[in-house]
Amino acid sequence: MSATIPLTAGVAVPGPSSTRAARLHALADLGAAGWPTRRREQWRYTDLEPLAAASFDLVPEALDRDTVTAAQRLLGDASLGAASRQLVLLDGERVAGLGATDLADVEVTSPEAHWDEFVAAFAKPVGAKEYPLAALNTAFSRHGLWIRVPAGADIRAPIHLVLVGSARANIAAQPRVVVELEPGARATVVQHFVDCASESTGWSNAVTHLKQGAGSRLVFQRLQRHAHGVAHTSLLSAELAESAELVAGYFDLGGRLVRNDIAITLRGAGARTDLFGLFLAGQNQHVDDHTLIRHAAGATVSSESFRGIIGERGRGVFNGKVVVEPGCQRVDARQSNDNLLLGEHSEIDTKPELEIYADDIKCSHGSTVGELDSEQLFYLRARGLSDLEARRMLTAAFATTIVELIADEELRNATLELVTARLAALTER
Amino acid sequence: MLSIENLHARVGDREILKGLTLHIPAGEVHAIMGPNGSGKSTLAQVLAGREDYEVTAGSVVYQGQDLLALAPEERARAGLFLAFQYPIEIPGVNNAYLLKAALNAQRQSRGEPPVDAFEFMKLIKSKMEVVGVPKEFLSRSVNQGFSGGEKKRNEILQMLLLEPRLAVLDETDSGLDVDALKVVAHGVNSLRSPQRSMLLVTHYERLLELIVPDRVHVLAGGRIVKSGPKELARELDEHGYDWVSAGGQA
Repeated sequence: MSATIPLTAGVAVPGPSSTRAARLHALADLGAAGWPTRRREQWRYTDLEPLAAASFDLVPEALDRDTVTAAQRLLGDASLGAASRQLVLLDGERVAGLGATDLADVEVTSPEAHWDEFVAAFAKPVGAKEYPLAALNTAFSRHGLWIRVPAGADIRAPIHLVLVGSARANIAAQPRVVVELEPGARATVVQHFVDCASESTGWSNAVTHLKQGAGSRLVFQRLQRHAHGVAHTSLLSAELAESAELVAGYFDLGGRLVRNDIAITLRGAGARTDLFGLFLAGQNQHVDDHTLIRHAAGATVSSESFRGIIGERGRGVFNGKVVVEPGCQRVDARQSNDNLLLGEHSEIDTKPELEIYADDIKCSHGSTVGELDSEQLFYLRARGLSDLEARRMLTAAFATTIVELIADEELRNATLELVTARLAALTER
Repeated sequence: MLSIENLHARVGDREILKGLTLHIPAGEVHAIMGPNGSGKSTLAQVLAGREDYEVTAGSVVYQGQDLLALAPEERARAGLFLAFQYPIEIPGVNNAYLLKAALNAQRQSRGEPPVDAFEFMKLIKSKMEVVGVPKEFLSRSVNQGFSGGEKKRNEILQMLLLEPRLAVLDETDSGLDVDALKVVAHGVNSLRSPQRSMLLVTHYERLLELIVPDRVHVLAGGRIVKSGPKELARELDEHGYDWVSAGGQA
C-alpha cells in the first residue's frame, strides 16, 4: 500500500518509454517508504514536509532560449572551471551548447542512454527506505551525466560538473551523476551547484554515484553555492574496491534548506577515504549533513572532519555514522565535528554514531560546539583590530582549517575566495 | 604620559587593585615589582582594556585622554601596547597576516595609507633581525606551537613593528633563559626614546639589570607601597618583599 505524496500525485513520469517501468517502480518504492517526516530518526531535525506539499514542477516544460542564454553567461564565471572541462546540467538536463559535449580523456554518456545498466548497477542498490529522495530522483531525472575514466588513466586537469539551476519558478530539478573510475584510474572532479538568478526559489534534488575500481584515486570536491531561496537535497553514494582512495570535500555556502546524505562504502581491503566538509549557515539557513561510512572490508581507513559555522538564526545538523562490519579487522576510523556558533540564536545538533562489529580496530570521534574565544578576541583587539575585524579573522581561521585540506592549490585558493566572501556576509551586522 | 589615580578594580567579587596611584612621565621607564597576587598583571590587563576586570573607582589619563573610556582597540591605536604575559595561540591566523593587519589598523586610525606587501616585508625583516627570529616565523600561525621564548620574542617583534607610545610589558622576562632575555632586553632598549614611556611588570630583578628603569615601584595588596630609584630593585632582591611590608628599614 503506497501512501500518497501530494507532490507526485497525478504526475506522469518523463523520459523515453524504455525508462518508464523503472521510474514507476521507483515511485512505488517512494510511496511505500513514505515521504521523510521528522518522526523518523534520520530526519528528526530537518523538516521536508513543506517540500512535498509545495507546488514544485517535477516535469518542467522545454527550456527556452533565454533560460539557456542565462546559463551560458553564468558558465563564463572563472570559478566554474575552463569551458573545455565543463560538463553541464541545466535543471538536471543536458542542453546542447552548454559546456563541453565530450572530454578527450574520459567517456561521457548519460544514465538515460544506458538506462537498464544504470538502474541495475546504481539506482536499485540505493534503498528508498533510507534514501527516499533518491527514488524521487530516479523517477523524474532526465539525461544526467555518466563519466567513465578508463583503467590506468591519470587525468590531471580537474573535470568540472556544473549543475545549474535556472531562474524558472518552482522547478524541482533532479540532477543525476555517475562517476566511474576503472582500476588504477586517477581523476579530480569538482561538482558545482549554482543558480542563474539570486532570487531563485527552486529545489535541486541531486544524486551522485561514485564507483571506484581497485587502486583508483578520486578527488571529489563539491561546492554548493545555491541562491538563498533554494532548497537543496543531495545523496552521494560511493563504493570503493580494493585499495581505492577517495578524497571528498564538501562545501555548503548557499541554499535555504540543505540536506546532504553521504554514504561511502569501503568494499575492498585497503580502501581509504578522507572526507571533509565545511558549511556556513546564516540567517534562516538550515544545513544538515548526514554521513555514513561503511567499512565492509579489513584494513580500510576513513578520516572525516566536518566543521560548521552557524550565524545568527542559522541552524546546523551533523550526524556522522561509522559502521565496521563483522570480521573487518585492522580498520582505522576517525571522525571529528567542530562547530562555531556566531549568534545568540544559532543552533547546532551534532551526533556521532558508531556501529562496530569487529575488535581489532582503531576508532575515534569527537565533536565540539563553541563560540569565538574571548581571550583570542581580546588579544587581537589589543593589537588594534576592531571587534568586528577580530571576529572575522577568527571565524575565517576556523574555516581555513578545512579549506587547507584541499591539496590542489588552484582549487584551494578558489574555494578560499568563495568561503571568505560568504563569511564576510555572514559576520556583517 | 600616564597618570593613574586611586585605581580600584575587581574580578567578580574580588577586589584586586585597591587605590593604586602611579605617574609615568614621557620618556621614562618604570618598573613595577611585587609578589605573586599583588595585582601586577591585573594592572597591565586593566590598562589594555580587558573587560573581565571592572574598574570601580579612580581614573587613568593617557596623553590627556580618559583611557578607561576607550575600547581595547582604540587604546592600541592610540599607541598603547601590552606585551602579554601569556601570549595567546591563534590557530589558522598567519603571524604575518596579523602583524600587517595590526600595523595597518594603527596607520588607518592616523589617517595614513596602508603599507603594501613589499614595504611590510622590508619593515618586518629589519625588526626580525633585532629579536633574532627566522623568517619561518612569519608563515606560522600566531603563537601556535611556539616555545615560551618564541612567544615572548613574538610580543617584542609586534612591539617593534607598532612602535607604541606607551609599552606595558607584563612579565616578559618570565620563562626566558639568559640569552633570550638579552635579546628581548636589546629589543626593548632599542625603542627607548624621549617620546616613549614603558612600564615593566616583573617579578625578578635580573630584567632590570638589562633594562635599567628610571623608577621602581613596589606593588603589594593592590597598592603602590614603595617607590624609589633603580637601586630599589636590588634592595628588594636582597631583602625580599617582606622587607617592604616591614617598613623598608634595612
